[in-house]
Amino acid sequence: MEISIDRDSSEPIFRQIVREIRGFIRSGSLPEGFRLPPERRLADALGVNRSTIFNAYRELKALGLVDAHVGRGTAVLRAPAPIPGAIGVPWRQLFRESVARSHDPIIADLLALTERQDVISFSIGLPAPELLPLDIFAEYTAELIREVGAPLLLHCPTEGHTPLRETLAQWVAARGIRSRASEVLVVSGSQQGLDLVARIFIDPGDVVVVEEPTYIGALQSFRVAGAKIIGIPVDKDGMRTDILASILERERPKLIYTLPTYQNPSGAVMSVERRRHLLELASRWHVPILEDDPYSELRYEGEPLPSLKALDDNDLVLYQSTFSKALFPGLRIGYLVVPPVVLRQLALAKQGADLHANSFSQYLLERFVRDGHFAAHIENSKRAYRRRRDRMVAALRRDPSIGLDFDVPTGGFYIWCRLPEGVEQSALLANAAARGVVFLPGRACYPTEPTENCLRLNFSHASEEDIDVGIERFLEAVREAMVHGHAERPDGATTSPVV
Amino acid sequence: MQDLRTSDIREILKVTQQPEIISFAGGLPASELLPAAEMAELARDLLLDDGVRALQYAPTEGLDMLRELIAGRLQRLWGMRRSTDEVLIVSGSQQALDLTGKLFLDEGDVVLCESPTYLGAIGAFRAYRPTFVEVPTDDDGMVPAALEDRLSSLDRVQLIYVVPDFQNPSGRRWSIERRRKLVELAGRFDVPVIEDAPYAELCFEGEPMPPVAALGDACSVVYLGTASKILSPGMRLGWVVADSDLIRRYVLVKQSTDLHTSSLVQLLAARFMLENDLEAHIARLRDVYRKRRDAMLTALEEHFPQHVSFTRPAGGLFLWVVLPEGVDARWLLERALEERVAFVPGESFFPGGGHENTLRLNFSAMPEERITEGICRLGRVLSTVTADALAAV
Repeated sequence: MEISIDRDSSEPIFRQIVREIRGFIRSGSLPEGFRLPPERRLADALGVNRSTIFNAYRELKALGLVDAHVGRGTAVLRAPAPIPGAIGVPWRQLFRESVARSHDPIIADLLALTERQDVISFSIGLPAPELLPLDIFAEYTAELIREVGAPLLLHCPTEGHTPLRETLAQWVAARGIRSRASEVLVVSGSQQGLDLVARIFIDPGDVVVVEEPTYIGALQSFRVAGAKIIGIPVDKDGMRTDILASILERERPKLIYTLPTYQNPSGAVMSVERRRHLLELASRWHVPILEDDPYSELRYEGEPLPSLKALDDNDLVLYQSTFSKALFPGLRIGYLVVPPVVLRQLALAKQGADLHANSFSQYLLERFVRDGHFAAHIENSKRAYRRRRDRMVAALRRDPSIGLDFDVPTGGFYIWCRLPEGVEQSALLANAAARGVVFLPGRACYPTEPTENCLRLNFSHASEEDIDVGIERFLEAVREAMVHGHAERPDGATTSPVV
Repeated sequence: MQDLRTSDIREILKVTQQPEIISFAGGLPASELLPAAEMAELARDLLLDDGVRALQYAPTEGLDMLRELIAGRLQRLWGMRRSTDEVLIVSGSQQALDLTGKLFLDEGDVVLCESPTYLGAIGAFRAYRPTFVEVPTDDDGMVPAALEDRLSSLDRVQLIYVVPDFQNPSGRRWSIERRRKLVELAGRFDVPVIEDAPYAELCFEGEPMPPVAALGDACSVVYLGTASKILSPGMRLGWVVADSDLIRRYVLVKQSTDLHTSSLVQLLAARFMLENDLEAHIARLRDVYRKRRDAMLTALEEHFPQHVSFTRPAGGLFLWVVLPEGVDARWLLERALEERVAFVPGESFFPGGGHENTLRLNFSAMPEERITEGICRLGRVLSTVTADALAAV
């Protein structure tokens, strides 16, 4: 038993001894029944006071790691299973139940993979880096410091920088949404919008209806809120509102969450009939709808459809969009358009959550949208993304023998791809990763067990050349998985958001 | 769910936006000291030479470069040895408090806090419907016997929340003995300490004291830091420092809360730390705030009636005033607003209410002449009010 002590450390010596011995017990190098040296001997060996060892042993006993009996000395108790985070304080026992069960290992695996430079990633919904209007933003910073100064670094209202709220109210008017600035809430990215809506509507055990499959981040927020999540299948025309009807009657949900336009991950567009039907059902059962609309600007063909919010006469729709897809995500700015009574509650929740979205980003975005650069940027992006989508579709069709099944999306970021029978996704992901390409396994997008063996491919981020290379690698992996397939799971690294 | 007292404060802050009002109600750094020009220049360079990273997604934990800088700074300042994976970047310390509530608090759980305690923490935790139990607190911090009593007699104590350095609102600083005692008691009862340290660097007098987190280990103390008081409140940048397994839990909760903190903001802060002299900037803040505190203390001695007592904080942004029993600070505020001066009544800082005769004054946000003028006005109001009140007793 080698114990090292740092006398210069601010940590008390008895604490250091506790930490060291605790480590030995947890690692198993001090087995059950092992007798710790008598206090005096250890004190002499370490050149410390006997009372220091006394305190250390007392603490080890208090931690349930050792037991002491007069005449028999101090012996190691049965080693507790190493519980992550449970050293010192039994963290795991302290966590809320909904938090303790909201972890999906497949996501951690995937995230670890996308960190690697040699990997072409189709897994995350990122905009194309080549398109970022960096020069314009760099110019704005100089302008802002001349014209605005200190307020760039000061607090702004919880509801958002007032000129940005005004600009956004005008911006959504182009989507047929009539609103005043006072109905716009600026949030720290649309993930926060989901979180805040969950906070003000959902108590543990409440039912939330989502599409199946749906956006992973929404599932995470609703799970943490303790919701019971019910999935409604999605087909080519969006959410199956016929199935929704019976669920509403039976389950009386607190909230319906939908991505009606270029749905993540399926790419589906909800038809106008279904939109009207959804609104009618929601109004009949008095259930608010959270309409998440990050992608509708990115339309590659077909006519634009009115948003649910634009069709809503009953103030039932909470509309949410973001700059993360059509522009870029690093500023973390999203927004909601909601009735004033809802806005007040959301703003109170937001104040407790993070006071307000960062001021500097709000000033930058306000100018960018107001000056017409955002609209121009969207046109640029659409041209590039349409080409990338076509490139990926062509690459996927290069080997028809594999039998991949997908619809060509008319907008958005993703191709939702059905795999042949029997291809196991975590093995496929490991195999593909070994070849240098990753995707998002469909399982992550389902509230419970997946009903179909699908995966999601993002086509906006990788260049056309990388799309060719990456899809070729992907198809190889699928071919191999159709015969057999297994590879090692990667180690976890940092946690990139899956979006 | 709604916290009425938080919305009261919002109302006060709205009134005090009017320029003719001398407001001691806010908690802002001095706006003329904000490094706005430096920051804008850094932002321009950043967008031109590392723009893609500044505008794309970042890991939920935060950018490694910034995590390393923060870990290094904690070591330099306080001798806290923490590795990069023991640091999580958050969107301001308000978010750190919220994530803490989300991780640990279910309805009916107990949070032990100082009396008074930080209003933002009450607001953040209250969303999770815990029971707050105020632990009797004197000038040196929580009274150990009282803390031990609560820890041994109460069920479901999940957290001990403390602001040991120049606390908002009282300006109090915990003694080193109390800090040690806290670590010992928390360890003995297996209850984590949440140490909120926004003001620790703003120490005007005496030696800075080690944070509680430097006395305990990373497993039992969660340390919360922020850029709000030393760099910019509008950036919304803070950090949680704790055991890496616990940080992983915070990461999961943060991921479902806002994915990650703005990449642009993180890189800006990192560049500021690398290219500008943050410590010199903070030294300037200390210097200015010390003078402002002195101006306020001088004015208080001159203009406040004898029966009013106030603290003499050795750092931070606030001092705390206790009026004679029976004088209600809310009522005083109405009178004060007529004289165009504002403050925050102290009652809001006590989760259990009461203490109507207390109030908080901020001294950091305005130049000395205005402080003197504001305290003089407040003193005028107080003289009439306390005379009336004392006459009534």
